[in-house]
Amino acid sequence: MESHADWRSIGGIATSLLDGNPIAIAITAFVAFGLPILLHLIFYQTVASPPSSNFLLLGPSGAGKTALLSLLEAKSSPLAKKQTQLTHTSQTSILTTVSLPASVPTASNRYRSANDPSLKDTSRNPVKYRVRDTPGHGKLRGPHGISQLSSMSDSKDSKSKLRGVIFTVDTAALSDVEVLRDTASYLYDVLLILQKRALNKGKSSLKVASEIPILVAANKQDLFTALPPGSVLEKLEAEIDKIRKSKSKSLMDASVDASMGDGDDDILGSSDAQDTFSFKLLEDEVGVRVDVVGGAVKGDEGSDFGSGVRKWEEWVGQCL
Amino acid sequence: MLEAFEILTTSGVVLWSKSYAPVGAHVVNSLINDVFIEEKVQIQAANAVYPVYKKEKYTLKWKRVKEFNLIFVAVYQSLLHLGWIDKLLDNISTLFIDIYKDQLRSTRARVVEYPFDRYFEQQVRELEDNSAPINSEGVVTSAEQKKDPLVSSEHGGPPPPSVPGLLQAQRHAAPGVATSDEGTPPQTPDTSRSTTPVASQILTARGGPGGRVSRRARKAANASANVSSGDESIRKGKTPKGGKKMRKWDADGYADEDDGTVLDYSAPADGDEAAAPAVEAVAQDSWGHRTGKGQFVLKDLGDEVHSILENADSEKAKNTSTGLVGSGFNAIGGLFRNIVGGKVLTESDLEKPLKAMEDHLLKKNVAREAAVRLCDGVQRELVGKKTGNFQSVDAALRLAMESSLRKILTPTSSLDLLREIDTVTSPTSKQQSPRPYVISIVGVNGVGKSTNLGKICYFLLQNNYRVLIAACDTFRSGAVEQLRVHARNLKELSVRENVGQVELYEKGYGKDAANVAKDAVEYGAANKFDVVLIDTAGRRHNDQRLMSSLEKFGKFAKPDKIFMVGEALVGTDSVMQARNFNQAFGTGRNLDGFIISKCDTVGDMVGTLVSMVHATGIPIVFLGVGQHYGDLRGLSVPWAVSLLMK
Repeated sequence: MESHADWRSIGGIATSLLDGNPIAIAITAFVAFGLPILLHLIFYQTVASPPSSNFLLLGPSGAGKTALLSLLEAKSSPLAKKQTQLTHTSQTSILTTVSLPASVPTASNRYRSANDPSLKDTSRNPVKYRVRDTPGHGKLRGPHGISQLSSMSDSKDSKSKLRGVIFTVDTAALSDVEVLRDTASYLYDVLLILQKRALNKGKSSLKVASEIPILVAANKQDLFTALPPGSVLEKLEAEIDKIRKSKSKSLMDASVDASMGDGDDDILGSSDAQDTFSFKLLEDEVGVRVDVVGGAVKGDEGSDFGSGVRKWEEWVGQCL
Repeated sequence: MLEAFEILTTSGVVLWSKSYAPVGAHVVNSLINDVFIEEKVQIQAANAVYPVYKKEKYTLKWKRVKEFNLIFVAVYQSLLHLGWIDKLLDNISTLFIDIYKDQLRSTRARVVEYPFDRYFEQQVRELEDNSAPINSEGVVTSAEQKKDPLVSSEHGGPPPPSVPGLLQAQRHAAPGVATSDEGTPPQTPDTSRSTTPVASQILTARGGPGGRVSRRARKAANASANVSSGDESIRKGKTPKGGKKMRKWDADGYADEDDGTVLDYSAPADGDEAAAPAVEAVAQDSWGHRTGKGQFVLKDLGDEVHSILENADSEKAKNTSTGLVGSGFNAIGGLFRNIVGGKVLTESDLEKPLKAMEDHLLKKNVAREAAVRLCDGVQRELVGKKTGNFQSVDAALRLAMESSLRKILTPTSSLDLLREIDTVTSPTSKQQSPRPYVISIVGVNGVGKSTNLGKICYFLLQNNYRVLIAACDTFRSGAVEQLRVHARNLKELSVRENVGQVELYEKGYGKDAANVAKDAVEYGAANKFDVVLIDTAGRRHNDQRLMSSLEKFGKFAKPDKIFMVGEALVGTDSVMQARNFNQAFGTGRNLDGFIISKCDTVGDMVGTLVSMVHATGIPIVFLGVGQHYGDLRGLSVPWAVSLLMK
């Protein structure tokens, strides 16, 4: 191996690279094995694909959407402080990735046995989903909540497909007529969009529409004045029924003249306005499932951090 | 005194907050609602740098940082005039963003803990001191001098190591804090022998197991820190005497080298990460250093803060200077970016398109005042933002304008008239007795009050209500006859279609309108009518004599809803009309909605909608779109926005 003298000229370098020089072999081996690993690290580590299941947080202002989101976020991050965060009225929506606790079963694991080794894997690598928080203020519902809902529910892209809607309700304030009316009319709008979607899917193609269930998260159950979930359900049903009746008789919009009027789709539930409305009927007729589950973002003092949202997380798990 | 200070994101999460007195969350919420969302309050930047918002007994000042979507809010009692709040907002926002730049950019920005308390306290103290020059500066320092030797000499055991430990731990963020807290208390009790040091010791050690210790220790530490840092900042301006003074302090009994180390460490102020552990090591070998050390770390904080602030200032200065030098290059880049997108918008970029947009709005019959406000709002929103990929400035502006039009037109709560009538006429609870729902209609002469009343009546009749029309225009001749014709027509229609019932209540001319209205409501209640519609005389909004009678009318008739009819034809005057009518009913009573008539005559120039809502913040309920009874429509925001942007 005397050829190492020739490192100065180009020809010399080429020569020394092509003979059995150990340095050349080492470099080649390093490049050959290192490059794929490097590329892998660059492409898969930095741009970790976001989880494809999305949930939308809707609800009137002050119901606890942002608080719920930050609670879920804090729960899924090991570094975070274990206390509920202060929140104020939101002005913009945020999209964030949170993970499901390993103890919550997911629907895709329904048929696995309890001893399945892949279940152990989830405890190390929990299921992740994305939650989009929207502002609940009356002026911002249209541009944020409702438009997000309609774009996400209709999108073909699997990345932004909507798996479920979480509609938070302030149960402590629901006994107030104004709050109930506001909440119910928002829920009505949301249900109407989902109904239109479900009906359109049925018309255009026969393939099974991936349905978007709604969780009515009856928040603030920790408060003394909170209504139990059952009575929340009844109140909302009664109020939505009233809205439905008055909507069916109400004035047309100014924009109706421009587009052709298809009046039937604009009323929630069965086309016969005389029926009383119930979520059960809605599920039977249209296929939009609505669950009312109680919970509390701010838990009791003694209980675990974030234990109040356990039931909602289970619901989320059932949608995954 | 400052009541509270909060740092929150536009998405509503409070990142860091400090409150000296309990301030309800609703105070900040109403700031957000009124100022940012509903834009009810016009932002006036008269004498102060930052806008002011008053709620209850508090005054709020805020600063928005668009780059990070942060809002800094300071809350203080309205009684106090705190001149340094502006400076505080400035400094705190600079500091917070500088220190937590990386955390704020990361996806976990909302869950990370921000140990910002000490920086904040330092700033508050410093600014408070500067604003009200404290004469007792010398006294404080001498007290400090006296105390320090006492503490250091009288102690047998190890004096409080908690301060540096805590501070250091905080620097390393959340997890460390708990451990250092627990470490502190056991050391202290056995060391206290004399009375004086006990007090100071207890200050740092009390409430050991809880998280409170950190707060207290910090406070105690900061108390001394701020004195020193305050001194320093003052001295800095004059002469570099600060170092000498410091040396004198500890020279009481302790060697100069002590100070030598102190000064050494304070020099690399920004490299605190490295400095702090080293000091810890020094502290371990002899307790004599510790008094000095305690001050050192605190002084270091002041230095750190100052260096950050100075850096920010110099950065700003640099920016303005490079703006002149590199303008040629920037212009070329700007042109290119205008096509490709990804351009950070500045005021000069927006000037021309905004002017064009304003002209466009004026052409759509939007009042100038409203157009200017919309453009200002859009400008505020866009300056400092990046345009998207392949998005020109115009397109970005258009989008922003559309969204702000949508925002201004969308009502905070949608009005469902039928449902409200139902709740009043057939209440669910036993306490309320059923009564007729009273709607009154006001407006300028000839805008179509009676016509729109007829349309609403027709709509109500379709829904099987019993409607009473009250003719309270007792002024203009022919007004009652006009309503009689409407009533006759509607009666005819309702009989033919077999829906509802309508009746006219009239008392002739010359009577007081308020009394007639009151009688009509009583008559309606006695005869089980569901709705009472009150027509009023048209009046010019700038005629004080006529407008003043509206207040009495509002008190007598107690209408559930007062709608004002405005024509779509009217231009700039719409703002004054809406405003004057809104104020005419006295305090505590406003209009409930607008009916914009004659929308069919203006084509796409529906700017009046925007002007009226802009002036009052009251939603538009109905639109009149034709000559027939059925030509009444609800407002569709997308429709209006698309017409305006066409």
